Amino acid sequence: MGLNRDAQGEAGAAVTPAGAHGGHRGGLFGGGGPTFLTTKLDFIINWGRRNSLWPMPFGTACCAIEMMASAASDYDLARFGMERMSFSPRQADVLICAGRVPYKLAPVLRRIWDQMSQPKWAVSMGACASSGGIFDAYSMVQGIDTIIPVDVYIPGCPPRPEALIYGLMMIQEKIRGETMDRRVELRAEDPYAAGAPRATPEEIAGLTGPFGNSTHQNQGSGRGPKDRVHRPADRIV
Amino acid sequence: MATKTVEFQVTRNPEAGMDFRPAAGPIAPVEPDLDSEHMLINIGPQHPATHGVLRLVCELDGETVVRVIPHIGYLHSSFEKLGEYRHWNQIVPLTDRMDYLAPLIYNCAFAMAVEKLMGIEVTERCKVVRVICMEMDRIFSHLLWLGTTAIDIGAFTPFLYAFQQREKIYRLHEAYTGARITTSATRIGGMMADLPEGWTDGLKAFLDDFPKTLDEIDRLLTTNAIHIGRTQGVGAISAEDAVNYGFTGPNLRASGVPYDVRKDRPYYDYETYDFEVPIGEHGDCYDRYLVRMEEMRQSVRILRQALERLPDGPINVEDPHISLPDKTDCMSDMESMIHHFKLITDGIPAPPGDCYFPVEGSKGELGMYLVSDGGPKPVRWRVRPPSFVNLSVIPKLAEGHMVSDLIVINASLDIVLGEIDR
Amino acid sequence: MSDQQKNPFEIVERGPAFSDRLEVAPPPAGGAEDAHPSVAALRERFPDAVRRAEVSAGDQHVVYVDPDANLEVLGFLKTDDAHHYDLLVDVTAVDYGGGLPLQVVYQLWSIPHRRALRVKCELPLERLHIRSVTGLWNSANWLEREVFDLFGITFEGHPDLRRILMPENYAEGHPLRKDFPLRGRFSRAEQTRRALSQDPKDYYIPEELEVGGAPSLPEALRPRTLEDGSEG
Ligand code: SF4
Repeated sequence: MGLNRDAQGEAGAAVTPAGAHGGHRGGLFGGGGPTFLTTKLDFIINWGRRNSLWPMPFGTACCAIEMMASAASDYDLARFGMERMSFSPRQADVLICAGRVPYKLAPVLRRIWDQMSQPKWAVSMGACASSGGIFDAYSMVQGIDTIIPVDVYIPGCPPRPEALIYGLMMIQEKIRGETMDRRVELRAEDPYAAGAPRATPEEIAGLTGPFGNSTHQNQGSGRGPKDRVHRPADRIV
Repeated sequence: MATKTVEFQVTRNPEAGMDFRPAAGPIAPVEPDLDSEHMLINIGPQHPATHGVLRLVCELDGETVVRVIPHIGYLHSSFEKLGEYRHWNQIVPLTDRMDYLAPLIYNCAFAMAVEKLMGIEVTERCKVVRVICMEMDRIFSHLLWLGTTAIDIGAFTPFLYAFQQREKIYRLHEAYTGARITTSATRIGGMMADLPEGWTDGLKAFLDDFPKTLDEIDRLLTTNAIHIGRTQGVGAISAEDAVNYGFTGPNLRASGVPYDVRKDRPYYDYETYDFEVPIGEHGDCYDRYLVRMEEMRQSVRILRQALERLPDGPINVEDPHISLPDKTDCMSDMESMIHHFKLITDGIPAPPGDCYFPVEGSKGELGMYLVSDGGPKPVRWRVRPPSFVNLSVIPKLAEGHMVSDLIVINASLDIVLGEIDR
Repeated sequence: MSDQQKNPFEIVERGPAFSDRLEVAPPPAGGAEDAHPSVAALRERFPDAVRRAEVSAGDQHVVYVDPDANLEVLGFLKTDDAHHYDLLVDVTAVDYGGGLPLQVVYQLWSIPHRRALRVKCELPLERLHIRSVTGLWNSANWLEREVFDLFGITFEGHPDLRRILMPENYAEGHPLRKDFPLRGRFSRAEQTRRALSQDPKDYYIPEELEVGGAPSLPEALRPRTLEDGSEG
């Protein structure tokens, strides 16, 4: 196992190859760049991390049932080192947000994400969590990526257990590519951003605009008059 | 969370120098008097034992629950508002996302209600197929309830057994509708398709296999001392109260009230099937468990009879105003294609009026209330949510029990948050 | 079905009209509405309060009742032995839009008599008040709260009338009204901001805070307890 091959093997799957930035090599301990020691350590740490992920199941609706099915006998998530569903956010690595997230639940989701300790990843399972799905209505968050950063989106309504397992394997793949010298950059978190939306208002407007079929959903149901009526009892502030 | 600071009265004895000793006589309250102290704890909304995103705020006296205040709405997805913007047929996909534990019951209930409003009589085959779908999903839903409740009580094995059987129903769902949970199987005036070939054999195989597993779970739980100790006498409610609080379904029957929509307001010839409605007598968690176990057995009986009488013939009504033309025709025949296009874009108009149609869902009386003003979309689509009403009783049931009993009571009500919050 | 033999193209040409079958049969003359024993009894007992009765969807009886008399009429229906509607199945409301009055709908079912009845009260928009029936049926508790939340109808005498599905400080109005837009009144960014900027104290209702902030607690500790308690 040569040094070169190892370094490439580790960096091959990375989002950004570790050597692409840095470039300056400062001996065995690295002056910020990868060295023999750090890549070996990376390999061991990442191997350990990716094979003992503890998911935090944030299951709300139908997708949660599929998540339960993946943890049960037939699909058996435990094969991937994830048998310990961690119901406490402080002991969890991966947040699996499975199901619809209404605005009333948004602060809860954000708080759970803030309570998880680094390193942490987020999986958005299902159409509703990723984009609001068919629920383009007044009470629904249009994609949890407006609230927390998301690493993997799993499409489907609901995604099959295989899809969830595949999504979690993509997280494992992502971990494989992480290197120590980029740790600070990858794990940077602004403590003052806790509890605030992840996206800026412009970003939210861009992400949540109605598209496809839902743009046609503006007409009301009936044949009756559709003018607005003034209602004295309305509690608008 | 009210905590009390305990004050030690330490008197300084000047003669003793630096040696501090408490003065003789009674030390002022070392054990604070906790009788009047109540503590507030918050369970949920993200908690594994609340079966969804339910939040319970409990006021405790020691470990005894004095008061529970449930907070719901953490999964309010505005189904009813969305329904007002959709054609009748387009609402069907919404219904199975409402109760994802028994999707086909919701599909069928909605289609039946619309058919009642429009005055459509579905074909004989369709009726039996819908009965099969509904009874299959009653088992499907009760199995999930059984598994998760067993976990709450401390038994993990029934969960795995139950999910193994559920996986078989998943496969039947998938073979018929193409989806595991979000089935969307009904259409106004029929089903999306006829049963695929060999599907009934799959169901028969399931029916042969399933009672064995059920018996195994039965052996694990019914006479289990821990299970009995945790559930008997917990969360009991009298028959009178149960009716007054609006209980329906297995919860009501566990209290001894023989009200079952299938028997009392029969639809789809349920009166001609030979089955019994189990009734409990104490109205506690154990009776609710027994009633549901027996209901699964009765569902197996109904399914066997339904398979036997499944008639041949068309599954959709032959009315060009309602049923879509055959897909093959649409591809080769101009008229059929235009017809298809018209039906999809304009929808099916319903006569003005309103209609309430109840069916026996897995959680209780599931009613669909539809109001139409003559257009192809409803003015109001209201779902009478059985578990919403069932859950509203929890403050009464849990009063005076321990916190751990509260979890069992909550589990025994068999709630599904998707339908409570809608 | 005479249409069946015709060319489907012709039918389609006619557009989305009702077929003959879809037309609602006119209610049979001779007071079919009164065929229901409870309707007849109500007419006799409360001649002023019963506004009209109708039969919908073939066999479902509906009685329109004066909203000021809802408690008396429903109380009679529940307690009288000949009717005995002991199960209040549902309480809901209907908004037709266009300035029409809101309807409060009670679905009743009598377990001993196996009989159903629907009672409706029409509320003009300027006066969305009605008396609560929680005193008669406990099941009305949450159902009325839901109607209050989604339609803004006030139930007088309800023990605990606050929002149930929407957050307590929801400021956009009552979502199931016809004049409420599907996606809410605020922009998505504003909705997100509002959702996330909630004070932890908003999670609790005054009753709970009373327990949480018991007076025996030192003043300095009290705010902390409230925040701690809000963690899930
Ligand atoms: S994506 Fe589909 S299955 Fe998942 S929560 Fe949303 S509606 Fe349910």
